[in-house]
Amino acid sequence: MDIFSNIALGLEIALTPVNLLYCFLGVFLGTFIGVLPGIGALAAISMLFPITYHLEPTTALIMLAGIYYGTAYGGSTASILLNIPGTSSSVVTCLDGYPMAQQGRAGVALAMTAIGSFFGGVFGILVLSLFSPLISNSALSFGPAEYFTLMVLGLIAASAITEGSAAKGLAMVVLGILLASVGMDPQSGIQRFTFGTLDLMDGLGMSALAMGLFGISEVIASIRTKTDGTTATVTPHAVSMRSLIPTRDDMRRSWMPMLRSSSIGSFFGALPGTGPSIASFVSYAMEKRVSKTPERFGKGAVEGVVAPETANNAADQTAFIPTLTLGIPGSATMALMIGAMMVHGIHPGPQMMTEQPAMFWGLVMSFWVGNVLLIILNLPLIGLWVRLLTIPYHLLFPAIVMFISIGAYSVRYSAFDVLTVAGFGALGYAMRIFAMPAAPLLLGFVLGPLIEQHFRRAMVLARGDLAAIVERPISGVFVIISVLLLGWSLWSTFRQTGKAKLVESEN
Amino acid sequence: MPSIDYRDAVGGALLVAVGAAFAIYSWTHYPLGTVSRMGAGMVPFSLGVILSIFGGMVAMASLSREGSFTDIRVATPLIVLGSVVLFALAIIPFGFLPAAFLVTLVAAFADLSFRPIRNIVLATVLSAAAYLIFAIGLQLPIPLFAWPF
Repeated sequence: MDIFSNIALGLEIALTPVNLLYCFLGVFLGTFIGVLPGIGALAAISMLFPITYHLEPTTALIMLAGIYYGTAYGGSTASILLNIPGTSSSVVTCLDGYPMAQQGRAGVALAMTAIGSFFGGVFGILVLSLFSPLISNSALSFGPAEYFTLMVLGLIAASAITEGSAAKGLAMVVLGILLASVGMDPQSGIQRFTFGTLDLMDGLGMSALAMGLFGISEVIASIRTKTDGTTATVTPHAVSMRSLIPTRDDMRRSWMPMLRSSSIGSFFGALPGTGPSIASFVSYAMEKRVSKTPERFGKGAVEGVVAPETANNAADQTAFIPTLTLGIPGSATMALMIGAMMVHGIHPGPQMMTEQPAMFWGLVMSFWVGNVLLIILNLPLIGLWVRLLTIPYHLLFPAIVMFISIGAYSVRYSAFDVLTVAGFGALGYAMRIFAMPAAPLLLGFVLGPLIEQHFRRAMVLARGDLAAIVERPISGVFVIISVLLLGWSLWSTFRQTGKAKLVESEN
Repeated sequence: MPSIDYRDAVGGALLVAVGAAFAIYSWTHYPLGTVSRMGAGMVPFSLGVILSIFGGMVAMASLSREGSFTDIRVATPLIVLGSVVLFALAIIPFGFLPAAFLVTLVAAFADLSFRPIRNIVLATVLSAAAYLIFAIGLQLPIPLFAWPF
C-alpha cells in the first residue's frame, strides 16, 4: 500500500534528531504557554513565530505545530486545577474538571485528560492521513476561478458562522485583505498605500500584525482584569504521582466518550469556521445527552472531562486537512501556519503532497511523535505545570511585551516592524472596545494577496465575464454555497438580539 | 439607559469611514483598469466599497437595540504601546540590552501599581534572560550595546 511507504517516509523525517528536538521544544513551550492563563495558542504562535524564521522549513513547521497542539494540552491543566480555562477550547473542561479537583480527584482528571487528548490526537491524525490524499487529488484540476471562489467560501464560513455578528466578522475579513494590499502590486509593479515610504514597500509583516493584534492587545486586556481584583491569589490543588491513576470505573466510563468525541472533533476540526472550541462544546453536550446519568455532569463526571479534551485534540489535527491540501486555513491559527510556510517559500495546496512529500508526511508524522512526547511530558511534569500557575501576572506581562518586541525586531532587523507591532496593538485594542473579532482580520490578511491574484487571473481568462465563474461547475457550486451562507448569516445578524453566542476567538 | 447600541453605532461608522478612505484613495491614485484587465486600484477600490457596506450594516443593526460601552482605560494601553515604541526607537541607536531593559521597565508600570524597585529588578533579570536566549542561544547578530554620539 502507498500509505505505508508515506508513513515510513514521514517517520524518517520526523525522527531525525533535529526535528525531534524542535518537536519536543514546540510541545514543551506550547504546554508551558497553554498552562499560563490568558495566553492562547494564537498569541503563543505569533510570539514564537520569529524564532522559527531561522530554521529549516520542515523543522519550523514541526515546531509551530507542536506549540499549537501543546497549548491544547496545557490549557486543560489550568481549567481543572483553577477553574480558569488556559485556552478557549478548554472552557468546557472547567465544568466537570474543577469539581473533580475539589473532590480530590484532580490527578485522575489530569491523567484522563492526557489519555483522552492522546486518543483524540491519534484519531485525528488517522483521519488526516486517510482523507488528505483524496482531497488533494480532486483539487489538482482547480483553476484560478475555483481557488478564488473556494477562498471566498472559506472566508465567509470562517467569519460568519462562529462570531457574534456576521457583518462585523465579514468587515474584518475585508479590512484584512485591504491591509494585505499595502506594498507593491505584483502584477503592475505599482506601490499601493505606501505613501512614498520605503518601509512599506514589502508590505506589512504578518508576524508583526499577529503579535500586535493578539499578543499586545491581549496583554492590555488581561492587565485590566487582573488589577481590577477579579482573581485572588490562587492555591492549586496538590497533585501527586499516585493520585494520577484512574480507577477501573473511570476507564470503563471514558471508553465510549473518547470514541464518540474523536469523531465529533475530527468532523468540526476539518470544517472552516468551526474548530476545537465548537468541537469541545458539541461533544460535551452530546455526552450529557446520551449519558444514563446526566445529573452527574457539572458535579465532577469523568466523561465531562474526557469528552471535550478528546474532541479538541482531534479537531486540532484535522484542522490541517484544508490547510495542507487546499492551502485554505479554517482558523486564524491555521492562517499563521500558512503564513509560516509562505515565509519559507512553500505554497500549501494540492501540489504539496506530490512535490513536497517529505515535508507533508514528515509534518503529519511529527504530530504522532509530538502526541507521544506530550503524554510522556505531561504526566511526570504535572508538578511543574502546577507550580507555573502560581506565577503572578504582574511579573509575566512585562516579559511577554519584551519577547514580542525582540521577536518582531529579529524577523528582519527592522525597527519599523516593531513600530508596526505597536500600531496593530493599538488597532487590536480599539477592536476589542468595539467588539470586532480579530481572527477574521488575520485570515483575510493571509489569504488577501492570493484571492486578489486568483480573481484577476480568472477574470483575464474569462475575458472580464463575471458570469463565467458561476458557469464553471465546481466554482459555481462554491458561489451558490457562499451566497446562501452570506445571506443567512447577515439575516441572522439583524434578527439577533444580544443573545450570548459561542465565540471562537482562540483557534 | 441609551436607546441604541452606541458601541456598534460608532464602530460601524468608523468602518464606513475607513472603507470610504480606501476606496477614494484607490480611485484617485491608482489605475482602475477594466474588469478583464484590472489595474492596481480595482480590487482595493471594490473592497473599500464592500467594507463601507458592512460597516453600514453594523451601524444599522445597532439602532434597533440597546447597549453601551464597556469602560475604556487610557493609561494601561498607552504604557504598554509606549514601551514597544520605546524599544523600536532605542534598538538601533543604543543596542539590544538597553532596549530590552527599557521595554520591560516601562511595561511593568502598566498595571498602575507604582513599585519602581521591583520593576527595576524585574527588568534587569528579564533582559539578562533575553541576552541568554537571543544572543547566546539563538545567536542573533544584534549589537548588544551601541552609542549614538
